[in-house]
Amino acid sequence: MAYDRRQTDVAIPQEQGGGGYRDYRFEVGHAEVPVGVPRTFKVLDPETAASLRGWVECLVPARRGRPSAAEVGAAEYIDATVYSASGLRETLLRALDTLQGLAGDAGGGGFASADLAERTRAVRAFELEDRSGAFDMVRDLTYEAYYAHPVVLAALQSDIGWDAVAPTTGSGMEGFDESLLRRVKSLPTRYREVP
Amino acid sequence: MSAEPADVLVVGAGGAGAVIAKRLAEHGAKVVCLEQGDWVDRQTLPKAHLDWEVRGRRYWAANPNVRRWPSDYPVASFGDNPIDVYIYNAVGGSTIGFAGNYWRFAPSDFRMRSLDGVGVDWPLTYEELEPFYDVNEREIGVAGLAGDPCGPPRRPTLLPPAPVGRPGRLLIDAYERLGWYWWPTEQAIATVPYEGRSACDHRSYCPFGCPQGSLGTTDVTYWPKGLKLGVRLITNARVRSLTVDSHGRAQGAVYHDSEGGIHEIKARVVVLCGGGLGTPRLLMLSDSSGHPHGLANRSGKVGKNLMVHVQSFAVGRFEEPVEGWHGTWGGTVSTRQFYETDPSRDYMRGFIMSGVGGYSPLNLALQLAPWGLDHHDVLDRYLNHEVCMYLCGDDIPEEINRIELDWEHTDAVGMPGVKTFYRLGENSQRLGADMIQRAHQVLEAAGATSVRDFGLSPIWGWHLMGTARMGDDPATSVVDRHNQAHDVPNLYIADSSSLPTGGGVNPTSTIQALAARCAQHIWDVRRDWRGAD
Repeated sequence: MAYDRRQTDVAIPQEQGGGGYRDYRFEVGHAEVPVGVPRTFKVLDPETAASLRGWVECLVPARRGRPSAAEVGAAEYIDATVYSASGLRETLLRALDTLQGLAGDAGGGGFASADLAERTRAVRAFELEDRSGAFDMVRDLTYEAYYAHPVVLAALQSDIGWDAVAPTTGSGMEGFDESLLRRVKSLPTRYREVP
Repeated sequence: MSAEPADVLVVGAGGAGAVIAKRLAEHGAKVVCLEQGDWVDRQTLPKAHLDWEVRGRRYWAANPNVRRWPSDYPVASFGDNPIDVYIYNAVGGSTIGFAGNYWRFAPSDFRMRSLDGVGVDWPLTYEELEPFYDVNEREIGVAGLAGDPCGPPRRPTLLPPAPVGRPGRLLIDAYERLGWYWWPTEQAIATVPYEGRSACDHRSYCPFGCPQGSLGTTDVTYWPKGLKLGVRLITNARVRSLTVDSHGRAQGAVYHDSEGGIHEIKARVVVLCGGGLGTPRLLMLSDSSGHPHGLANRSGKVGKNLMVHVQSFAVGRFEEPVEGWHGTWGGTVSTRQFYETDPSRDYMRGFIMSGVGGYSPLNLALQLAPWGLDHHDVLDRYLNHEVCMYLCGDDIPEEINRIELDWEHTDAVGMPGVKTFYRLGENSQRLGADMIQRAHQVLEAAGATSVRDFGLSPIWGWHLMGTARMGDDPATSVVDRHNQAHDVPNLYIADSSSLPTGGGVNPTSTIQALAARCAQHIWDVRRDWRGAD
């Protein structure tokens, strides 16, 4: 039931996808990276780590009552994922290089030091030109880190009433009311008799 | 290797293999089962953890190419409509990732050719399978309600229906406005404590694992009983080929253990239960001079006539919160209003529509939330405001839809993977279009302010059927009415691959009833087993 926007691609093994696109999903099956665990960067150096933090903040910025993706450790989560799935490291590093260049083209300073609007413009430009799969990977992993984080799930319950804990603890519900079937029970049978 | 052959060797410990093993052991047969996967540690079930949605995209991913368990083999998909294959290789098989929708086929599903002039008839009738539906439902513990006018009369042995919640009430109101048939969905879920299993406490999203064991996966239903009856279950046993003696009778299997060591096991009867892909794969791998195109494949039908059902989801958005986080994912209420062929429509056969809850946060974000400043507003608009309808329709078998061995992509011991080739037929396309349009109609009648759907692509590969089909004619089928191979007298194929047609509903109930019937036949002809010695 995990139907995301590019599910069809999963039907095709990596080498048949063509076009240089690397679908990260074929690489992360064994990458077990618990969400919400404090961690430090293992793959990225401080400069590229700052860029990735700036990137994930653009994807899910803070809003009243909701932290940004950077604040819940999405960048560290992505770093830990590509640490476990080492085949993805180059894809991420090249993307961060490209973003740095796009930010330079746009405003002159580095991507990490640009304000949210400038960074967003650079990310938008990167999304349009990316053929490597890096953008999709970082977006999806950011969403993973965000929507499994206890702080975010608590905010969803507080803001819109979504009970994210009940699927793991259970909850009470009213039983089925058979009187609702009164009309249907009065209908004739609706299946074909087979000779 | 044991010097004394087993009475029965079962290959595959999934939905069907578990039934065969337990039923025959109950009669007193000496049963050995080889399973290429392992037991699933219930602590690793995604739903035992708050980050279950993430785990469901990684080690629990239904697609074996993503998950890559040691027991998995690669599956590549081709054709006009490639299949996104969902299978699990473990004790319990693909039931460990199912939602528990537990329908019986209708009598007309067994007579597609006679009634509608398409596809093929089964070599048996609903009435012949009915006693085994009863037997199996008692083993599983099925929730529901007898008396549905869309199906033949049945014994009221069901557990109470699952609660329908707000999503169910919205759909019931819609069906009442439209004047359509509807009924609580039958589900393989213990809604009350049942045979030592806990009652469902409505955690929903059942395919991500049921830590409390309420969902009727065979690792918690049949297998504990089977082991107690003395079935010898060998896990991490990857069968390389089935073996045949000089008289053309199956004599056992050669398999790899988890260390790569090779073993041979012998039995008087062999029952293959590897599923819609695994079974034809193994038959093809078991070729020999006497069976040059694969074991039991004189008809050339092994691997052909792959069916997957015509499936989609439609999702309605409602202004009021729907509390979609709880309930059962397998369905609240369903309609078979359009299940039977109607000459006024432009297609044969029909479909069901089954209401479920709403999508969870990560799934929803991946589906439709844009990144950036609008992200939260879009997510908030849909999360807790959507009701989903699962749509499933009949798929007519076609030879062009098939599987082949894939020697370019191999498993952990170098055995070939599987290639699937699939094209959604014209009838299926027309049926699918109407099915989706009708789902929009229901959701709009329920008060949805907007409705979205998933169309007919990708092809969801939950229900892989027909690749070693049953029939009376050895020229057009692989097994007979008792699931016995036409070409190999003591070889049985008793899983989804034996279904000649798939009905328009989730097939697990029928697969397991058929397996129970097959087990009874194997026991009834036990005097013939000696022929293998």
